[in-house]
Amino acid sequence: MNVKHLGSTLKSLFIRLVIPAAAALSISAHAAQPLKIGYSDWPGWVAWQVAIDKGWFKEAGVAVDFEWFDYSASMDAFAAGKIDAVTMTNGDALVTGAAGGKSVMIMLTDYSNGNDMIVAKPGIKSLKDLKGKKVAVEEGLVEHLLLLNGLKKAGMKESDVTLVNAKTNEMPQVLASGDVAAVGAWQPIAGQAMKAVPGSRPVYTSANEPGLIYDVLAVSPASAKQNKAEWAKVVKVWDRVVHYINDPKTQPDAVKIMAARVGVTPQVYLPLLKGTHLLSLADGKKIYVKGPGFASLHGSSKVADDFNVANGVYKAHQDIDSYLDSSFTNAK
Amino acid sequence: MSTTSKWLGSVDGDARKRMLLGIGSFLLPLLVWCLVSYVPFVWHPKVHVIDPGGVDYFQVDMLVDKTMFADEVANMEREHLAVPTGKSANPIYLPAPDQVARAFYNGFVNPPQSKDVPSMPASLWHSIQIIFWGFLISSIVGVPLGILSGTYTLMGRLSEPFIEFFRYLPAPAFGALAVAILGIYDGPKIAIIVIGTLFQQVLIIANTTRKLEVTLIEAARTLGTRNIKLLSKVVVPGILPDLYRDQRILLGWAWTYLIVAELIGTSSGITWFITQQARYQHFDNVYAAIMTIGIIGFGTDLILARLGRRLFPWDRTQDRR
Repeated sequence: MNVKHLGSTLKSLFIRLVIPAAAALSISAHAAQPLKIGYSDWPGWVAWQVAIDKGWFKEAGVAVDFEWFDYSASMDAFAAGKIDAVTMTNGDALVTGAAGGKSVMIMLTDYSNGNDMIVAKPGIKSLKDLKGKKVAVEEGLVEHLLLLNGLKKAGMKESDVTLVNAKTNEMPQVLASGDVAAVGAWQPIAGQAMKAVPGSRPVYTSANEPGLIYDVLAVSPASAKQNKAEWAKVVKVWDRVVHYINDPKTQPDAVKIMAARVGVTPQVYLPLLKGTHLLSLADGKKIYVKGPGFASLHGSSKVADDFNVANGVYKAHQDIDSYLDSSFTNAK
Repeated sequence: MSTTSKWLGSVDGDARKRMLLGIGSFLLPLLVWCLVSYVPFVWHPKVHVIDPGGVDYFQVDMLVDKTMFADEVANMEREHLAVPTGKSANPIYLPAPDQVARAFYNGFVNPPQSKDVPSMPASLWHSIQIIFWGFLISSIVGVPLGILSGTYTLMGRLSEPFIEFFRYLPAPAFGALAVAILGIYDGPKIAIIVIGTLFQQVLIIANTTRKLEVTLIEAARTLGTRNIKLLSKVVVPGILPDLYRDQRILLGWAWTYLIVAELIGTSSGITWFITQQARYQHFDNVYAAIMTIGIIGFGTDLILARLGRRLFPWDRTQDRR
């Protein structure tokens, strides 16, 4: 290879990579930057893509920068202070906060309405049939919480089943192996588990306990304070997104955008969207009202907090009030 | 005299035959893959449902176990209901060669529908840049350090025990720390490649340096060569062909860290493509992406090997690949 040519290639690589990298580093020191939001592959969060593609943030006069992550990587980046906000579940907001990545939940995106499920192999028709059998869940995660909630409702205890700890991604194979009677997983993994074992069916889902798992936009407390006006605009854009997706006239277009983001066809994506109940600001207002039980974000977070402490996810109870800020949702 | 050795002997001299064997080494696994994929009685543990018949939980395109399918056929016959039909299939995790070939073609020809989603070539180019910078940075530190450790006992004894220790630490475990220090974009990914490569690099190059004939160094020292000059005039020229080959192997090593490195921070590169496609069980696309990595890695190595023969014509080991 020609040395001169190599030199110029190196130079162009330098220009392409190092300079932007350096620029990106120096940018973070400046004020009035776009709000950096991490999002990941869950229908309630992919929904933001509609606003991104339609240019609604620009219309609302707010500069945002959505970064696509793997879910756990997005929480890591938030905890490291590299992004201003992240989409996560209310329970995970507590977990991240207990480890130092404190956040305030400024708005709700959705609650899981059937997308989280306990899938049992053929022949098992209800949670009661699981007595004395093995159930695979990823311990400490939402499906574990879902299972406990279901068992309690069925008048059973955690000790009535034998928990097997497994990775959520591998649940289809775990159920197919026949070593366990049921697995806990969310979509699209749960759907694959049912495909892998024909005749298997969900015996308990998040639709049985709406509000067990809320999904939120969690913002770093500093950014929520300094950029209050900007975040208020983001919250308003969300309302527009929910209406666009829920309106039967515009829903096909919205599903097309969302499906394209995750790389599947709209037909495959539609059922996943149906298992997610998107929350408009009006819906959100009701859920922000403090109260016990799953109809309230506070109540739901309290359950998650107790669960996390009981399972050793973290040691000390979190101050739930400090994680909730209803002022954005209630404004207008 | 056995004919085998004669045959091997002639192959050694005959470049064309060697090339044919090389192609054969690819064709054989491909043949096995085709056999498993296209010959229905080889493996095929599943049945792809074409018509569910009277079985209430069967659906079109569902994959079911062979025994279960047979049971249901028997059930339906007993109950005089419509019998399900289907054809033998492999698990979804093993796509057939033609599916992968089509996915490969699609990946390069059809751009993704969302403008925020990078295409397969763009993802790949991103990954190549990560590898390039990771390997370059690792080499800038690792090569000189390796040579010094190999040449000077003192240096070796000071650095190598720690490096020996550190190379066992799993590079991906430093992901969260790398994000905290270097941000969410390419910085932490490059860092993981460096952590994964550097420590092996120092040890391998130090060992290569030690293999240089001691008499050469002693002669040079007797003649008064010291320090920089000893390194630049004796050690480096002495080990250069071997060093070059080490670097070739280490570059392959760097590639193996790519998949874990790219899971850190924002989703990007070929790993983004692979994990996203795997999540929705598009294993044809997954395999196409994996193959592309293989092709690029192998292709680079072929070019570097050829370059090695050009650069070091006196070193016969460069011929062996």
